[in-house]
Amino acid sequence: MNIILQNIVSGLLVGGVYGLAALGLSLAFGVLKVLNIAHGELIMFGGYIAFFAFSAIGVDPFLSILIVFPVLVIFGLVLHGTLFTHIVRFEEEDRIKNSLLIGFGLTLILQTIAIQLFSADERSILTAYSSAGFELGGIRFPLIRLGALLLAIVSVVLLEIFLNRTWAGRALRATSENWQTAALNGINVRQTYFIAFGLAAGLAGLTGVLLATGFSVAPSIGLQWTLKALIVVVLAGLGSIRGALFGGLLLGVAEALSAYAFGSEYREIIGLIMFVIVLSVRPQGLFGGDHA
Amino acid sequence: MSRKVCLLLCSLLILVLAACGGEQAPETIQIGAVVPISGSLAGGGGQVERGYQIAVEDINAAGGIYVKEFDKKIPIELTLLDDESDPNKLVTLLESLNSDQKVVAYLGGFGSGQHAAAAAIAEKNKIPYIGVAFALYAPHGQGYKYLFSPFPKSQDMASDIFAMLNEYLPEGERPTRVAVFQEQTDWGVELGDLWREQAAAQGYEIVVYEEYSVGSSDFTDIILKAKEADAELLLSLPTPPDGITIQRQMAELDYTPKFQFTIRAPDVPTWKDLGEAGDYVALAPGWFYGMAYDGVAELNEKHMEMTDRPADPIVGPAYAAVQILADAIERAGSLDRDAIRDAIAATDMDTVVGPVTFREDGTGVVNAPILQYQHGTIELIYPSEFATAEMIYPIPPVSER
Amino acid sequence: MPKLTPRMIISLLIALALLLLPLITDDDNILTLLLLTFLMAGLASSWNILGGYTGQVNLGHAAFFGIGSLITRQMWLGGWPFALSMASGCVVAGLAAAVIGLPAFRLKGTYFAIGTLAMAEALRITIGNILPTVTNLPTEVIRNYELAPRYYLMLTAVLLIVAITIYLNNSKLGLGMMAVREDEDAARAVGVNVLRVKMIAFVMSAFLAGMIGGAYAFYFVSYYPNFTFGPLFSFDAITVLYVGGVGTVVGPLIGSVFFVILRDMLVKNLQGVHQLVFGLLFIVVVLVLPGGLVEAWDRIKQYVRINQSPTKNQHRETKAQTYPGENLH
Repeated sequence: MNIILQNIVSGLLVGGVYGLAALGLSLAFGVLKVLNIAHGELIMFGGYIAFFAFSAIGVDPFLSILIVFPVLVIFGLVLHGTLFTHIVRFEEEDRIKNSLLIGFGLTLILQTIAIQLFSADERSILTAYSSAGFELGGIRFPLIRLGALLLAIVSVVLLEIFLNRTWAGRALRATSENWQTAALNGINVRQTYFIAFGLAAGLAGLTGVLLATGFSVAPSIGLQWTLKALIVVVLAGLGSIRGALFGGLLLGVAEALSAYAFGSEYREIIGLIMFVIVLSVRPQGLFGGDHA
Repeated sequence: MSRKVCLLLCSLLILVLAACGGEQAPETIQIGAVVPISGSLAGGGGQVERGYQIAVEDINAAGGIYVKEFDKKIPIELTLLDDESDPNKLVTLLESLNSDQKVVAYLGGFGSGQHAAAAAIAEKNKIPYIGVAFALYAPHGQGYKYLFSPFPKSQDMASDIFAMLNEYLPEGERPTRVAVFQEQTDWGVELGDLWREQAAAQGYEIVVYEEYSVGSSDFTDIILKAKEADAELLLSLPTPPDGITIQRQMAELDYTPKFQFTIRAPDVPTWKDLGEAGDYVALAPGWFYGMAYDGVAELNEKHMEMTDRPADPIVGPAYAAVQILADAIERAGSLDRDAIRDAIAATDMDTVVGPVTFREDGTGVVNAPILQYQHGTIELIYPSEFATAEMIYPIPPVSER
Repeated sequence: MPKLTPRMIISLLIALALLLLPLITDDDNILTLLLLTFLMAGLASSWNILGGYTGQVNLGHAAFFGIGSLITRQMWLGGWPFALSMASGCVVAGLAAAVIGLPAFRLKGTYFAIGTLAMAEALRITIGNILPTVTNLPTEVIRNYELAPRYYLMLTAVLLIVAITIYLNNSKLGLGMMAVREDEDAARAVGVNVLRVKMIAFVMSAFLAGMIGGAYAFYFVSYYPNFTFGPLFSFDAITVLYVGGVGTVVGPLIGSVFFVILRDMLVKNLQGVHQLVFGLLFIVVVLVLPGGLVEAWDRIKQYVRINQSPTKNQHRETKAQTYPGENLH
């Protein structure tokens, strides 16, 4: 068995999850110019919904997407309507600042709710095919993680189609480039903001499903995934949709290779250093500069 | 006029009598606990909280603790605060329990790091401290006088696994090729070193020794190394999230050692979520609800009412901590902190975790059972005189379960 | 020396009261709570120099707090005199900023923010790998532990930072920083050396964070060396500052009182839902007072003025006109 190739494959498979985690954050940032640090908590809620759909009524996690996504979209709309809509009136600089603050308050609230509702113990989904996989050229491909990567790719493709082929999607892109011009061209910016934030929350929910099937969910996992997503978003370039996925894959592979080369305790450090180096060479991120 | 004088005299007399009667008995015995109820340690913190609550209810249902100094039973008042898994908050709350509640003793929270900080505050405030759910030995090496921990320590966990395998398996069948996944934390380093020592002493060879940092999202690298080296025994002590990911990836990468001993992660009741992938893992949570000690059945019953399952692994030791404290207060016959401290040191009693005494350094002499998940239920496999089932060895590969 | 205003007198009285407090009470509870309030105030105020005055959002502030505490603790417990250890901690933290600054300032805005965050995280994990064991004060020190000196050290550190920010408000350097914050190109056009100003602000901010770290290393009985590098120290500092009032002197002080003392009260009285209540309260403050709690103070003052005497209205209006420029509190 080729160990180095196997490590790369595992890195790619994990990287898909990073990418999906970053996708929603990137979308919200690109369009609304808000940095929602409660993104990880939305991921967590998505994971719990998938978990209970599976354990209580036996819904396959990859089918439960059909429940998780709309529920989280609605949740996102509510959050935007009650909280973030007050922020988007501000200048860009103040938006980021105030969204950080609102997000901070929100993390505390959502974590408490999660502990009260679900208890603090880690939950995870194990399906009949969770340990299944196939070998190809001596490399093992676990089905569940292939499914995760596939979900991430499909999400990006569908989002791209939405952004490029539909009227609402074009409105989103126009708003992300310049909301004033968009408003002058008859785009309902308020509505666009709602759509973007709702979609971002929905994408967070999908990420949660992948955590529940590939890792575990607990009320306190939010910060860890928000940080990871933030790094991927910036690595890719703010607001770049395709870039978010590539950024995630790249980070996954970089981590896997550094674990292989330097030992497992250095996997994240090398990833972070690589990130800093990339930024110092290309300060606008790998795929930044031109908008999605 | 004379009546007024009489009244005055009478009330004076009462005052003098009251003053002679010594100190008034307090209405309650103040005990303080700071436990992580939110944040990353909240899962274990919840178990500790349940254990304390049930124990205090039980003691108060019997009227409280008899204190000789006041010649009466006084109920316990437990003030339990949430440190949010943050050592800074832990320290402030411990200080406020000292200042506001004037607690006679501290009960510990969860997690070795939290205990290390809390024990130092207890030492500074000269308040006896009983902590469970920490196997880290290091704080006991500090020479603290007020720290007590009726809980198995790294030393027990390091030697017992090899003792068990050597007792059950004839030479030649033992899983002598060992892989250690060592978490890069102080407990990880401490236990990793002990495993290395013990393995060499008991005829085992460490073929893979891999360090990793907490919170990794991919363990392919170390799993493949163990698989390549054909390691037969896997030793590790991951946090629950790391442990769950490792277990999943081992199944995905089709690696099953002949025996797997995992400390900490399988202690969470939700390890069962892993189903077959988490089966056959051996664990040492420090206690087991199936042990036939006095009070365990009642404890399980009360825990059932709260959570629909028998007592979790840390609930027992937490309950025992309160038992030990109550016993010590009764023997001290007073609410003086130093008297209670000395009484705890002299503990020799039966609790829900079995007989407990303390060594000079504050570590408890307690049983450290080894358990194994067998077809979804936990069985006690060691020490053999308590065993509820035989050890399953070698464990079947995931693909054949 | 500007003439004494009522606000200055009140501030001096509060500072005096805080200085005298350990002589009046030996209640470790009060002193600990205040000490942690100072800690947050110090972190927030030191962040303020780069983030509030110069407008560069540094999400890796914890790294410098961590470096300060790490160096101080290791040297001090290694037998060096404490003062020298703490001074080294500050200097190394400042140097680290000087080294990181040049590449980091190639990044703008959010890229700078996340870049610094990644740097701090890399440092946190590295320190966790190299020094995984908890660092304890020696048992003898713990047995004879006196809180008052720790309290004074932290208080002094904060007062020093406050003094520096007051100085910045009235100095050429401070004006340069604010010019960079408002518009880099315009600042450059009027002859401000933008990179130099940023670098000075960064090094100052890091040096002072390192100082707070040193005081923490002196205070805290037992912690993991990488704990002080945790992202929450950065986020909390920023949160405290924003909720108090960014770019002002008193903002971080009010914010830290809100953040530490209110939270402590909630923990003790609302077990189970304290985080939820704090989160809600926090959001309400942010939505109602976008300028931070400092703004509440100004609003109350305005309100009082209006109601006190109508003749003062004019004064209020002239103030309102100059107000949006700089909050020279």
